[in-house]
Amino acid sequence: MNAPSPALVAPRPERLRLVGQRRQILALMHQRLMFGMLVYAGVIAIIALRILWLAAFGDHAGRKEGLTQLIPDRGDIVDRDGEPLARTIDAWTIAVHPTKVIGDKLAIARALARLMPEQSEEQYFAMLRSGKPFFYLRRRASPALVEAVNALGEPGLAIEREPDRLYPQTSLAAHVLGFTDIDSHGAAGVERAFDKYLSDAATRGQPLVLSISSKIQQALEHELGDAKAQFSAIGAAGVVMDVHTGEVLAMTSLPAMNPNAPGEGTPDQMFNRATLGVFELGSTFKPFTLAMAMDSGVVRGPGQIYNCPNVLTVYGHNVHDTHPFGRACSVAEIMMESSNIGMAQIADQLGTTRQKAWLKKMGFLDRVEIELRERGRALTPGSRWGPFETMTIGFGQGIAVAPLQLAMGYATLFDNGVYHPPTILKRGPNNPLPPGRRVFSEETSYKMRSLLRLVVMKGTGKKADAPGYRIGGKTGTAQKLINGHYSQTINITSFAGVFPMDDPRYVIVVMLDEPHATKDTYGFTTAGWNVAPVVSRTVSRIAPMLGVAPDMNREPNMGEVLPFVHETKE
Amino acid sequence: MSVRNFGSLAMVATCAGAALGCYLVSLRVASERAQLEDVETKIVLAQRDLRTVQTEIGTRARLSQLERWNAKVLALSAPAADQFLSGSFELARLAQPQRKVEFNAPVVLAAAPAPEAKKAPLGEPETDDAGAPAPVAPRALLHQASLKTGTREVPSEPANISPQKTAGSKSTALPATAAKPAPKKAVDKPGLAAAHPGKLVDKPVLATTGPVTKSVRLAKVDPLAPLPEKHSSKPVLKSSKELRPGR
Repeated sequence: MNAPSPALVAPRPERLRLVGQRRQILALMHQRLMFGMLVYAGVIAIIALRILWLAAFGDHAGRKEGLTQLIPDRGDIVDRDGEPLARTIDAWTIAVHPTKVIGDKLAIARALARLMPEQSEEQYFAMLRSGKPFFYLRRRASPALVEAVNALGEPGLAIEREPDRLYPQTSLAAHVLGFTDIDSHGAAGVERAFDKYLSDAATRGQPLVLSISSKIQQALEHELGDAKAQFSAIGAAGVVMDVHTGEVLAMTSLPAMNPNAPGEGTPDQMFNRATLGVFELGSTFKPFTLAMAMDSGVVRGPGQIYNCPNVLTVYGHNVHDTHPFGRACSVAEIMMESSNIGMAQIADQLGTTRQKAWLKKMGFLDRVEIELRERGRALTPGSRWGPFETMTIGFGQGIAVAPLQLAMGYATLFDNGVYHPPTILKRGPNNPLPPGRRVFSEETSYKMRSLLRLVVMKGTGKKADAPGYRIGGKTGTAQKLINGHYSQTINITSFAGVFPMDDPRYVIVVMLDEPHATKDTYGFTTAGWNVAPVVSRTVSRIAPMLGVAPDMNREPNMGEVLPFVHETKE
Repeated sequence: MSVRNFGSLAMVATCAGAALGCYLVSLRVASERAQLEDVETKIVLAQRDLRTVQTEIGTRARLSQLERWNAKVLALSAPAADQFLSGSFELARLAQPQRKVEFNAPVVLAAAPAPEAKKAPLGEPETDDAGAPAPVAPRALLHQASLKTGTREVPSEPANISPQKTAGSKSTALPATAAKPAPKKAVDKPGLAAAHPGKLVDKPVLATTGPVTKSVRLAKVDPLAPLPEKHSSKPVLKSSKELRPGR
């Protein structure tokens, strides 16, 4: 090829070029073919490997996803003993697709009106002729009704199963549980506060365990409901709380609503008086004032003497007592007979600054710390908080707190003076007890035991006593503020109690809103006559369930206070 | 047709067989798994049914409903504080029969038949002996004396008397022999008396509820019996010591 003479063999240069080109093209084609084959083989290999993989580890075609574990559409809510309080069930829903109806519309309308009389024949007929695609006829229909509708044999009537929230205990603990809206999202109470937990697929398999005990809740609701009916009160609230852990064992607000049909509730029924409502709770505040004074060194002991005239005139106002002493009286007597005059003087000695600091420390100036969203903010005199307001707050007028907050205060006072935030969830690994915050000294907490026991043994709270259970507590009768004036006749009565007083374990707070006098109360509407018996009855019912054994031979150390009580009056 | 051709065919057949075998194993595993899943599904469905039934029962037997039934029909109430017992002994005490004092029967027994019937065997020979001193008496006196000393201690010196005093009291009851036997008793008695002071105190209480007739009868006999037997007091006292522990 490398011939020097182009004349002899003279390949045409175009041919030469062609050979080179062909070779190049061939090589390129080989490359492309090889590449194509590799791709093809690779794809086949991937498919084969995938098939092998599936054969070895994969699921077969008939596998039903999600049925290997029962996960409800929304998590259950159970009480502390595992009793279900809220569950999601598959409910029957009856609906109609008017466009798909093929039968005689008038006959169907007649049959529907007969089966579901909440709408008339004409309304059903109009519905069927409206031409709209879809109407709900009944949600959560009974099986009998579903069967009857199905028997009509009309393809335009749709019968389906839909997840629906059911509260098996109906109105029990309704305000704690709250309810869900039509899309199964929490709209109140625990349902709203823990909506994420209850609806998240990762967590909803495990039920939400509340600190509520349904038996205690039932006892409290029943006794309180009886009292509310007996005294024709417009409302009532009650809280039972564990002193040491802050767990709310029962919390109720009456009138109750039925969370199964939240739409039927009136605003009054929807209102949670225990956490959202704030009330001036009157003399139930006095133990706090006294404890503050004791801790601040203002009051040295139950024997300290104050002058208790029939009427105390201070800062241009008159302070009255329901049981006026008209003589010098000891701190023990002031507590026992719930003397406003005595307590006002103690509060005056304590002073505004210290009182504010104490109330702040106890958590009375903020919203109550609980997981629920329905939380009321305490009402205080604010900028008008002067010396006279300090005195009235000392005996519980002029400051409005939620009943739960009051229970929290008593729990703090009797848990050796240590504050634990209240909780609606059961204490356990998921909700451990946070370290407390010391508010009162242990000594003050101890001294208050016998003072409050004295109130029930000999003072205004006699009717709250349940033999053997050593209840101690304080009655509170507050005049209700109506249109800016304190009413002389309309009261809010409350009782805050602790039992057993020799080793406090549980707090119970009950409140009646506007109770009326009856023949049995001899015309009185004070707390000692209407709410105190509720406490007695409730405690004798719930204490055995809570493991508090009745003992007639145990009492707190009454020797600390009895010497300072003047007995001749009795 | 060489063997090599068959060799490749055999190779293919072996590969096919192995593949088929593998596939069969896999198929078997898959079918087992499918069965297992069916069972799991059944379990879940059963759980769902259980849950439905539980919910229904729970709803029908809700606490407010139970409370209503209780208010209307059962009328059960919470136990009162005194209905709780702290232990098994308190429970056993509840089963103990109540002892009631019946006024009719004991009076009849105490008044008429009991003393007379019992006087006949024990008392008659004594009174006869006391009335007329008989030589056969000593052995009968031993019995009488023992009974007497017993009864004397119980009613006359109830609780406040120490063991030494009881010894002294006997000596005063038997004035003539008082001086000599006193030290002997003082030595002997403390041991016995120390063991029995509780009994001596307790007995009168029990005796009042129980056998009233005995004490009455013996008290009548006692003051009479020792007087004529002053001279033979020593053996009497010894016998009293012997008998007392038995009582």
